[in-house]
Amino acid sequence: MSDFLKIQQINKTFQPDKEVRIEALQDINLEIEAGDFVVISGPSGSGKTTLLNIVGGLENATGGTVILDGQNVTGLAEKELSHLRRNHIGFIFQAYNLIPVLNVRENIEFIMKLQGTTQRACDQGVEEIAKKLHIDDLLKKLPHQLSGGQQQRVAVARAVAAEPKLILADEPTANLDSQNAATLMDMLEHLNQHEGITIIFSSHDPMVIERAKHSIVLKDGKVVSNERFN
Amino acid sequence: MFKTATKIGITSLLRRRTRSALLILMIAVSLWGLLFIEGIYDGMTEQMIANAIRSDSGHISIFADGYRLNPDLSRWIENTIELDEFLNERQQIKSTVARLKQDGLVATAHYSRGIAILGIDLEREANHSHLEGYLRHGELNFGERQRGAIIGFKLAKKLKVAIGNKIILSAQNSAGEMASTALKVKGIIKTHNMAFDENAVFIAAAKARELLSMPTGISQIAISIANEGEIASLQQQLQEEFPNLTIKRWDELYPALQQSRVLMAGFKQVINIIIFSIAALGIFGVMLVSVLERMREFGIMLAIGTKFSQIGIIILVEASILGCAGFGLGALAGFSTLYYFKIYGLDLSVFSSALDEFGLDAITYAIIRPDYFFTALAAIILASVFSIIIPLRILKKTKPVDAINAI
Repeated sequence: MSDFLKIQQINKTFQPDKEVRIEALQDINLEIEAGDFVVISGPSGSGKTTLLNIVGGLENATGGTVILDGQNVTGLAEKELSHLRRNHIGFIFQAYNLIPVLNVRENIEFIMKLQGTTQRACDQGVEEIAKKLHIDDLLKKLPHQLSGGQQQRVAVARAVAAEPKLILADEPTANLDSQNAATLMDMLEHLNQHEGITIIFSSHDPMVIERAKHSIVLKDGKVVSNERFN
Repeated sequence: MFKTATKIGITSLLRRRTRSALLILMIAVSLWGLLFIEGIYDGMTEQMIANAIRSDSGHISIFADGYRLNPDLSRWIENTIELDEFLNERQQIKSTVARLKQDGLVATAHYSRGIAILGIDLEREANHSHLEGYLRHGELNFGERQRGAIIGFKLAKKLKVAIGNKIILSAQNSAGEMASTALKVKGIIKTHNMAFDENAVFIAAAKARELLSMPTGISQIAISIANEGEIASLQQQLQEEFPNLTIKRWDELYPALQQSRVLMAGFKQVINIIIFSIAALGIFGVMLVSVLERMREFGIMLAIGTKFSQIGIIILVEASILGCAGFGLGALAGFSTLYYFKIYGLDLSVFSSALDEFGLDAITYAIIRPDYFFTALAAIILASVFSIIIPLRILKKTKPVDAINAI
């Protein structure tokens, strides 16, 4: 398999001009294959979220390059990054981050509308995804009417709706109980195996970590372990 | 996307309904008040102009050459037959009236003062000026022997005369000699034209000719036309046909009234600036707080790939909903109020003495013009657009990841 994502010499320093500089990431070099199911683990403050943000174009690296599917992400302008996030990357956040004023259906189809999908295609797409993720009975509900597990399933649905090549999930199970966390991992595994979507998620939950095909461990902004499992 | 933006806008406004309602109410009340002032002020201006046109100048007045500078009996319009023929052929002319004017003196047993004597054909004058609407006391009749006079209410007050009282008119006749006649006050009128209410004595044209020894000729012909848009072309035609006469439009005879219209246009601009400022400041305040409160929401949208321009549309839709709701409510209230005062008039009789000085009736009828509403709507839409510039700049400077982490 080819390298789908190349992370080369990535550095991230917060407050670079101040006396107390925070070296969040130091010389990170990683290669991730298409269709990989990757977990980034490590203690709090190890740089997991920062790395995911840089890969997703949400944050700029201080140095180094991220090449996603042949495209240098680190050199892109905000407009191009927005296009990349809209069309090629799906995000799942720890705090679900659904749009509170839109119901489940509208949250899922929001990204499709951003891509210029017609209403008819949106309706069809939402129905399909909702059935697949078992949230078809929640479509009319608002985010605040859902449990944490349900909200995270909707967040997955929203991420999938964009038909991305890559899903980045920042501690997706952190706010969920073990049963909901297992269900969510089943979902992500299913998307990885059946849809071929590359998924990179961060976690420090051993139950979640053991399900990954590729494990990267960060500590103090450095890669301390990079293992692939068969 | 626009439907989604509208839904996000409406839902967000409903989530903050007290704040939104207060802003809508603030815009509506301001707009209502300003529309009311605009309509009433416009009504007053048009009333002053209408009174001047109706009581004196008509839309166009014709004078003998030089009469405007030296209004005496040596300058009169002689060839009235040709002029009458010309005017009768013009379809656009509603009515005409001929007057013989001379400055003179009116005296009673107690008081005397300088006035303008106007010899008129009462029937034609009534048809042209609708004098019956001006009559306050007595009747519009010079009597069988034409020894009656109609005077303005202010003059009557100064002379301390009432209906049936005697007055003496004196004036220089065409031979340059002083002539006098005794008349009885038959009617007292209130035209709201100060020149007439304070300084005019209307007498029968025949009586005026006798007093002034003027068997023929007239001083002024006032023309009223159906369509104000044709005033300039008729003036030009008249001037070409009768180059030896002075043809003046009402606005040339009453430049101060024309200035009032110009002033009204300026006043409307001021009103639109006030509407713009109120709406812009109000919407800006609400939208700024709204954007700061929803930084996380917008951060999520940006993170999942929403274009900044699409966020701009969402915020603009929200600001426009606030502005348009305020406009709708204010315009409805303003229209209803102005419509009421257009039909029933605004009774300002408590200020009648002050209004008289300006040539205004005690009851002012409001005017409703579509441009009040169109310009106010344009001002509010513009205000909505301007009010979101700073909130959008704040959002633009914020990175999506920082916005997501904002509390």
